[in-house]
Amino acid sequence: MLNNNIDINIKNKKGEMYMKIVGIAACTSGIAHTYIAKEKLIRAAKALNHEIHIETQGTIGTEDELSTKDIKEADVVIIAADIKVGGRERFKGKKVIDVSTDIVIKAPKALINKIQQDLGL
Amino acid sequence: MFKKLELKKHAMTGISYMLPLVVASGLLIAIGNLAGGNPSVISDYKSSYNIWQAAVSLGVFGMGLLPAVMGAAIAYSIADRPGIAPGLLMGMIANAMGAGFLGGMLGGYLAGYFVNYLKKTIVVPKWAQGLLPMMIIPLVSSVVIGLVMFFVIGRPIAVASASLTHMLNNMQGGSKAVFGAIMGAMAAFDFGGPVNKVASLFADGLLLQGVYGPEAIKICASMIPPFGVTLSWLIKRSRYNKGESDNIKIAFPMGICMITEGVIPIAAVDPLRVIFSCSFGAAIGGMLIMLLNVGSPVPSGGMFIVPAMQNPFGFLIALSVGSIITAILLVALKKDAKEKIVDEEDVEEEVDLSGIEIK
Repeated sequence: MLNNNIDINIKNKKGEMYMKIVGIAACTSGIAHTYIAKEKLIRAAKALNHEIHIETQGTIGTEDELSTKDIKEADVVIIAADIKVGGRERFKGKKVIDVSTDIVIKAPKALINKIQQDLGL
Repeated sequence: MFKKLELKKHAMTGISYMLPLVVASGLLIAIGNLAGGNPSVISDYKSSYNIWQAAVSLGVFGMGLLPAVMGAAIAYSIADRPGIAPGLLMGMIANAMGAGFLGGMLGGYLAGYFVNYLKKTIVVPKWAQGLLPMMIIPLVSSVVIGLVMFFVIGRPIAVASASLTHMLNNMQGGSKAVFGAIMGAMAAFDFGGPVNKVASLFADGLLLQGVYGPEAIKICASMIPPFGVTLSWLIKRSRYNKGESDNIKIAFPMGICMITEGVIPIAAVDPLRVIFSCSFGAAIGGMLIMLLNVGSPVPSGGMFIVPAMQNPFGFLIALSVGSIITAILLVALKKDAKEKIVDEEDVEEEVDLSGIEIK
């Protein structure tokens, strides 16, 4: 459906640290919120100059699967899901944040900023 | 305590695994009945049967599996893979006892939490480690929760579902209209969000009991917001700015497929008026569905499954009236849009993020 991966790899204008974010989006019916959440996260992260990769687990199955490299390099994992997501064991030892798709759709930037603050990056 | 149990997340996982099955089964039954003139379910596979009987029988299999899939998915959501076996079995018990969907859900919860409890408490010597997930957990959880289902909670749930079904089937005039209006308003209220899912869960459960009205309300109320908004845009374009107009052009085709979420960007700009107009239109639509005795054996699929409904013409009436009312309300209540000054990406809703922890 909505399929544009945006990867950016630059420090932002003020020279602040950017984060590498990976995440999963999954909603109940698996056809709409999942992809809206992904899009919102990617756009917000791009606007804030972070690098991001989001995997979707919709009714169609897993798409844009996170690579081991992405996960290994990530500073934080955002799981935006209303249901159980598969493959959580991949994030062992990582900093993981669980939110509903709702929060990501309503306030993606606020969420990312809060995470950055909490992590002290 | 309750928050930690994450009851809702597990129920949502259950629904998400069950939806494709219920859509396939419902459509098979509907198509078989429509094309084959209400064929009987195949009872003897040694004698001959036709393709419509096969379709209906397959659909009936699917419907019978729903409590099991629901139970298994909930238990899986709670306890991961070891939950699946006992969850499936609890759903089968629920189905056999007539405790249906609700029984399957409850059995799934019990099985899942019990498996988690076993995982934590049972300690086995190293050589028996393999037996734990392979034999001990599936057996013990199935026996214990199975007996609870058979002897304690199965019967009361079966009685409760039967009386609920009876009550809904025998509703008359006023109470029917009120029920339809409440269901409709709930289903449209948050455009596919949690309130909608509660109404949806209720409708899906009743579908299994053979009550088709609420399912039709759900479908109708999911389509009224996108259709109503589109109609109001056609009537008075000045109510929407360029960005919103673009969103409406996407929301409409999504609406045809029964995806309400396309309306969210429009509601986000002016939540009170849009939510009120949509819920009100959907309430009227729901009321009409009940009064016109419309029913849908299929829980999802939008315009494409209208022919499979009971009284499809009544459905179209309810849908049109609801959408027109929503459109009129929107035109009347909304103010003309200002051309957008701020980039919509910068406007975010205030959300309390304090409860979110990094683990």
